[in-house]
Amino acid sequence: MQLRSISAAYLAQASELAGNPGQQAAYDSAGHCIVLAGPGSGKTKTLVLKLARIMAEDVRAPRGAACITYSQECARELTRRLERLGLREAPNLFIGTVHGFCLRHLLMPYGRLADLPVPLPLTVATQRQGDQLLKRVGDRLFGVGHPNKPIDLGRHRRSILDRVSVAWREEEELAAWAEGYEAELRRAGLVDFDDLVIFGQRLVSEHDWVLPLLQAKFPVLAVDEYQDLGVALHRIVKRVAFDGGVRLFAVGDPDQSIYGFTGADGALLQELAARDDVERVQLQLNYRSASRIVSASEMALGEARGYQSHDPDRQAVIAFVECDDGLAGQAAYAVSEIIPAALAAKPGRSLGDIAILYRDFRAGDIVAEAATAAGLDFVRVDNAAPYRKVALTSWIEDCAGWCAGGWREARPQLRGSLDRWLGFHRARISDEQARVEAQRLTQLLWSLRTDDGLARDFVAALKAGMLDALMAAEASLSDQREQVGRMVAALAIGGPLADLDLASLGGRDGSPLHLNLLTLHSAKGCEYDVVIMVGLDLGSLPWRNELPAARRESRRLFYVGLTRARDEIHMLYSGFVDTPRGRMHWGRSPFLDELEERMQEAEGDE
Amino acid sequence: MRISRVKVSNFANFSDINVETGESIVIVGENKVGKSNFVRALQLILDPGLSERDRQLGLEHFWDGLGEDKLGETIEVAIELTDFTDDPRLMAHLNDCVVDPGPPMVARLTYRFQPKANLGRDPETLADYEYIVFGGDDPDMAIGASLRRMLPLDVQVALRDAEKDLSSWRNSPLRPLIEQLATSLDEDAREEIQEQLNEAQTELAGHAEVVATAERISERLVAIAGEQHAVPVTLGLAPTRVDALLRSLRLLIDGGTRGIAEASLGTANLIFLALKSLELDRLVTDGERDHTFFVVEEPEAHLHPHVQRLVYRYFLGSVDDGEDASPLTTILTTHSPHIASVTPIRSIVLLRYDAEQEATVAVSTATAPLTERDEADLQRYIDVTRGEIFFARGVILVEGDAERFLVPAFAEALEIPLDTLGITVCSVSGTNFTPYVKLLGPRGLNIPHVVLTDRDPIGDGHPRVRRRLINLLELLEEGVNYRRLDADAVIARAEPFGYFVNDNTLEPELFTGGLAEEMKTIIEEELPIGDETREALQEWVDDPDTLDEDRLIALIERVGKGRFAQALAPHVSDDTCPDYIRQALERIRDAVT
Repeated sequence: MQLRSISAAYLAQASELAGNPGQQAAYDSAGHCIVLAGPGSGKTKTLVLKLARIMAEDVRAPRGAACITYSQECARELTRRLERLGLREAPNLFIGTVHGFCLRHLLMPYGRLADLPVPLPLTVATQRQGDQLLKRVGDRLFGVGHPNKPIDLGRHRRSILDRVSVAWREEEELAAWAEGYEAELRRAGLVDFDDLVIFGQRLVSEHDWVLPLLQAKFPVLAVDEYQDLGVALHRIVKRVAFDGGVRLFAVGDPDQSIYGFTGADGALLQELAARDDVERVQLQLNYRSASRIVSASEMALGEARGYQSHDPDRQAVIAFVECDDGLAGQAAYAVSEIIPAALAAKPGRSLGDIAILYRDFRAGDIVAEAATAAGLDFVRVDNAAPYRKVALTSWIEDCAGWCAGGWREARPQLRGSLDRWLGFHRARISDEQARVEAQRLTQLLWSLRTDDGLARDFVAALKAGMLDALMAAEASLSDQREQVGRMVAALAIGGPLADLDLASLGGRDGSPLHLNLLTLHSAKGCEYDVVIMVGLDLGSLPWRNELPAARRESRRLFYVGLTRARDEIHMLYSGFVDTPRGRMHWGRSPFLDELEERMQEAEGDE
Repeated sequence: MRISRVKVSNFANFSDINVETGESIVIVGENKVGKSNFVRALQLILDPGLSERDRQLGLEHFWDGLGEDKLGETIEVAIELTDFTDDPRLMAHLNDCVVDPGPPMVARLTYRFQPKANLGRDPETLADYEYIVFGGDDPDMAIGASLRRMLPLDVQVALRDAEKDLSSWRNSPLRPLIEQLATSLDEDAREEIQEQLNEAQTELAGHAEVVATAERISERLVAIAGEQHAVPVTLGLAPTRVDALLRSLRLLIDGGTRGIAEASLGTANLIFLALKSLELDRLVTDGERDHTFFVVEEPEAHLHPHVQRLVYRYFLGSVDDGEDASPLTTILTTHSPHIASVTPIRSIVLLRYDAEQEATVAVSTATAPLTERDEADLQRYIDVTRGEIFFARGVILVEGDAERFLVPAFAEALEIPLDTLGITVCSVSGTNFTPYVKLLGPRGLNIPHVVLTDRDPIGDGHPRVRRRLINLLELLEEGVNYRRLDADAVIARAEPFGYFVNDNTLEPELFTGGLAEEMKTIIEEELPIGDETREALQEWVDDPDTLDEDRLIALIERVGKGRFAQALAPHVSDDTCPDYIRQALERIRDAVT
């Protein structure tokens, strides 16, 4: 018996699963397994432990496992938690987004062989290039100021994969727009992010020989946040799992499907869970929220899920608060009343335990203004953020965290950062080159350690030292290079993050001293003691006159907001919304009416 | 898994070779033609024991034909692998290396020694060179040490050091087996052995003679140094633990009376190979490797010819052990016809110096257009003697023993030195030349060859030779309709290809061609014949027109055609050489010089 190079740390933690039959069943599963995991049910822990077990017991290099998740941030969180179990990304362990998977493990090795109509080597269009082409083609086809929206184009491309189908042609203008845009991309020698997944899907669907190769490399495929991934990944998953013999371990919660506008569909997960050849596991126990919050959430959802709180005696606050003066008034109230009270209510609670959630970045601007006025430090995650989180910017942040003192306790681990750096190269590099690069990077980071320095100087040194050369050489990073550029611009003198110090760049999430401002979408996967939701008025959440499907998704968004809270939920509304056509008194969100009514009914029953 | 193709350019003896290969690879060729360099080329890609420095080549490694223009050129070695799809571990290793999804799926590994990519100018010294090893079509897809470790090329340089390796514990292939034995012993067994050991120890040490000897030593110690300084001694075996005991196990031969060191070199080599083979099995079973490319260079050294045949039949897998997909690819270099004769017919890779190109060229049998039946025939008929054709520069294919003995004799008479020219006479024992011609032809080993065959007339129909030659011509010509051609037309067509036919049958032709007297004498010496036959013979000698061919052949057959030919050989001369033999000899001479 050969010694495994994988730590047995997972064994110690796995013993804790014994008290939770669902988690234990998922951990013990031997075939296809679908885990339906309610909020706070420990799904990430289950996934991480299962992955560690698979890597230690079921596969041996060069065979391994691929773990696909929704976003770069989710991937980063998984990586962090796996690191704590002694598991790092390796050639036989992929952790990343579906785009990264399709690029590195489908299109790069097999795209050429399958003769896919894509320009090689693959160069991913930057966001700006994509936007420009989209606009140019749109204007040419429909005239300047046409009503078609890029977001609809994206949904159409992602959700209708069969280009000769009636469904594709049905939305005539979108189809024409998409085809014109793609032709322009190819002419420029580019693909975009959606192309990666669309072509990845085509590759596994059309070429049988890909399946055994993929199964050989990754006999196990794990998918996190399944409900947020679209139909293309769903097809890839079904093909490799049920035709290709790859073992599937998928985790998700259809109730938290809030990315329908991108083509995601929670029903896909339910379709998998209903199959006879998969084991379906339901995680019922909520470790996060107080009992009243668990039941209130179910009432808001309008579905009986039977979730239980792990800590039924915990006290909870559920407050409906009407504020004058609209969003600004709500933000002011949150900052001046709720937050001080919440901080005082529990010893040791800090700003980092509190989050204000809102629908979009416009609301975020108003909340941020109120927080600034009150002199509160905050971290803001929404579309108005100075740069988007991509693999490279996350990596820079982690390096910053290490240099700002993380090196003392190996958090994050240097080895992980080195491996991720090597992973940025388009293809496998030689052992020799890898060694040289790792050595140079280690020297560079070692020299950049400082306990108080400006993030700006750090990023400049990192760029000049190694990053610029990498980004120049690797065409596949072109899109990420744009985000690094934005990061640099934000850190520049006069930029919104000009004064950011190194430690804050490194610890921009989870900092105990910063209030969290997030959109409801960004809040998914997070948890806070105190959640303050603002803008719960009709015309904001939900929008007015939403079609039934959109209304259901808005309700799920509301549900996601509620289920972020451990102890307190504050729901703020004004009874009106401000629109470009003036103030509209449409009343508060109907979700609040329903919820309040159901809570009263329930309490009346007791 | 097997290697299905090897390409080498600008390396050592090779300007540019591209050869398809079979299940195993047996590299044959003359000395200095580049057999070892062929193996070195494979090592550049697959040998985990090669250091970075070894892969950073020198000017002497470039193909000599490049002359002064070596700098700037690129050395490249590529191998293609196939038949790995039944093993997912191999598929995982080769995932990024696939160049043809198949079936059969093909993966390629390439070593390249080239001017540095970002040099921006012509290379001035080898310091401007770098090597890369990559998979598939993409030079960025680097192949690392881990792949080489799991799919290693394991080279046994000519087995001359077997004895030394066996005697040192560190290098001994016996060591892993003993270590495995040591770990497989359970506590009870260990205890039992230890007890027996202790008992034997006690008994030995307590034996009166042993005690007495120890006492004598002790007394002398006292006598020399006095009671104060002398330490009392006893005699016994060195303190022994089970593990140490196991390590001291040695292979013994001749019923345990002699050690390996006393064995003949041949025996030591044989034992070495057996141990090595067990070791290779173990490495795969234990998961330390997923496949081994096992190279033995010149295995004929120090092995008796019979043993050579047995051993390599084993390693080349022609012993059917009933297991599927072997984790072992055997690669041999040899100039032994003994080994060539047991080589699976599809496994031959022939290296040959091409004076025109000033380089060694490679051809193989892997894709020769042999049918299954051809293959089986060749496999059956290629013995040690016929095995020589793999090493020949030219081959004369003949029907039987008569020609086999007589053609060299005529060659000598014509002053065409077959041995010096590297020309082999190969009897096909019959008239089925087709598989041999396929093997030697342009799509096979591409060795110059001629065919000598009899006309064999039958009654009124076409002589047999017509069909025989058409079979051969069809391999070389396309779109020719032979149906309308009579025998002479076909023979005329065949001559330019080197297929020569007599007017009848060899022996009567020799008889009428001037050897009648000598042939008569041999028959008279070899056979007890009556007067009537004696008179007939004399009549034929006196007037060859009266020759009864069938009767003559019957007489010779009674002697045995081979024996008869051997007896006749010393008597042949330039003058008596039949035309078709002369033509064939001159043609093959011209082809190889």
